[in-house]
Amino acid sequence: MIELNGVCKSYTRGSETLVVLDHLDLHVDRKSFCALMGPSGSGKSTLLNLVGGLDHADAGTVQVAGHTLDTMTDGELARFRSEQVGFVFQGFNLIPVLTAYQNVELPLLLSPLSRKRRREHAEYALELVGLKDRLRHRPGQLSGGQEQRVAIARALVTDPALILADEPTGDLDRESADQVLTLLLRLNQELEKTILMVTHDARAAEHAGQVIQLDKGRLLEEGLETPA
Amino acid sequence: MIKVPLRLVVKNLLRHPVRSILTVLSLAVAVFLLCLLRSLVVSLDAGVREARSDRLIVQSAVSLFVYIPQSYDTKIRQVEGVEDVCSWTWFGGYYQEQSNFFAQFAVDSDRLLSMYPEMVLVEGSEADFLADRRGCLIGDQLASAYGFKLGDSIPIIGSLFPRTDGGTWDFQVKGIYTSTSSNVDRKTLFFHYKYLQESRDTGAASGPSNVAVFVVRLMDGARPEEVMARIDALFENGPQRVQTTTEAAFQAQFVSMVGNIPLFVSSLGGGVFLAILLAVINTMLMAAREQVQDSGIMKALGFTNLSVFLVLLLQSLLLALAGGGLGILAALGVADSIAEMIGSQFPGFAVTGETVLLAATLSIVIGLVAGLTPGLRLGRLNVAQSMRAEV
Repeated sequence: MIELNGVCKSYTRGSETLVVLDHLDLHVDRKSFCALMGPSGSGKSTLLNLVGGLDHADAGTVQVAGHTLDTMTDGELARFRSEQVGFVFQGFNLIPVLTAYQNVELPLLLSPLSRKRRREHAEYALELVGLKDRLRHRPGQLSGGQEQRVAIARALVTDPALILADEPTGDLDRESADQVLTLLLRLNQELEKTILMVTHDARAAEHAGQVIQLDKGRLLEEGLETPA
Repeated sequence: MIKVPLRLVVKNLLRHPVRSILTVLSLAVAVFLLCLLRSLVVSLDAGVREARSDRLIVQSAVSLFVYIPQSYDTKIRQVEGVEDVCSWTWFGGYYQEQSNFFAQFAVDSDRLLSMYPEMVLVEGSEADFLADRRGCLIGDQLASAYGFKLGDSIPIIGSLFPRTDGGTWDFQVKGIYTSTSSNVDRKTLFFHYKYLQESRDTGAASGPSNVAVFVVRLMDGARPEEVMARIDALFENGPQRVQTTTEAAFQAQFVSMVGNIPLFVSSLGGGVFLAILLAVINTMLMAAREQVQDSGIMKALGFTNLSVFLVLLLQSLLLALAGGGLGILAALGVADSIAEMIGSQFPGFAVTGETVLLAATLSIVIGLVAGLTPGLRLGRLNVAQSMRAEV
């Protein structure tokens, strides 16, 4: 599902060049649940952004779901994201002026679905995350856990093959975090979504079938198979 | 195909309803003012724009306020290319009190309507007018402004031509005209020059003798420049030298008399336009700053840079159209009342379709310009950065 070969990424701040990813190779199988761990600044989020087509690598190749992202234009990347990837972020990143239903429906506006079909899909996604009774609530009227579940519903509403989660439990209490992780696990096991999750939390990583450690832009170890 | 979440456009406008309402209202006030200011300029220029090319005006070469001998009529009539001549003399009286001002002219009544085919009688008849020495024709707007009806007597107090007994000039309404062109004011009273002349000659009234101007109608095919030169040459050696102009040039003279109002008003309008443009740009810059993260989210979900740009541009356009629309409606709503108030100074004042179109176009331009820079900024932002609102 995900294939990275010799990927490099660096940022320039003033006169200083900061190497974030250094000739990184990575392989993630389809339908796997992979946790990406490492200290702050190790390049986890940058790696996630490259895989999600939100950023370009300086060197190397990034292949996701059969697409070579390095050669794609901005428009092609936008289409790739809308069709292949669902994002879940630490800060939930819901649009505050839209209701839970409208947030979930938003990515469907890019699809050719009719209004009625969009409603059905969005309501089903919210039902999957247990929030069908919160359709008309705005993000500000929901708890953190509920907001993250809405974000997960938004991520899966277009039925993408890959879900990228950046610290999805980082801003949540233990109970809400467990709910979100259980939900991600269900998506992986029941809906066969490939999940790549960045996390600091070892307890969260325990839910993943594969744990990858990053440090200073390099892969430390891979393939720690843990039972879900 | 470009997809723009229109719901998000509207919801973003409602994110700060007070700010949006204030922006719309300030735009509405600006567009309202622009409409009225332009209507003033248009009404000033109406006489010039709609002036007839087959009419000339003969006035004193010294000044419009210096009268010329009535006897010139016969001589002008004999000039090659002249079809007809009609004298106009400014009366300058008022009805009941000085604030009730409207124009009155003593004219060669038997030639007025043939000289001005754009004047159409809607009530009464020319024959009745000509048959009554004290008869007058009034414009339909004057009639409705003061409630004058056919057969009414209109007492006018003469300022320039006071009656020696201290009384009023009583004119009988024998006809009510309208005009097919804004070149002819519909709030004017016309009466017989002979009545004025007789009153002066008999001592019943005082005031300057002679006439203010002659209106000359050209024969078909006559060249105006040549006829003007012939008339001016005719009185080159006096007793009173004249200056002959086209009707358009004569009307333009009145506009310039009150200063360069079109330039002044246009400058004022330009200032209003610029001020409101800056205000709307400021609003849209604030909106863009608030929507950085939302734009990042949209892009992460698969919306293109162009979609993100259009979300902001449409917000700006909607604000501008709402404000512009309100301003135009308000201007149309008060146009008649304003025309009533300033009709004497600005005959033909009206918010025309052209003005409405200009105001709508300016509103769209404001919306586009104000949304362009902030929209482009959002569209170009890096997705990852904007998701973290690092701008």
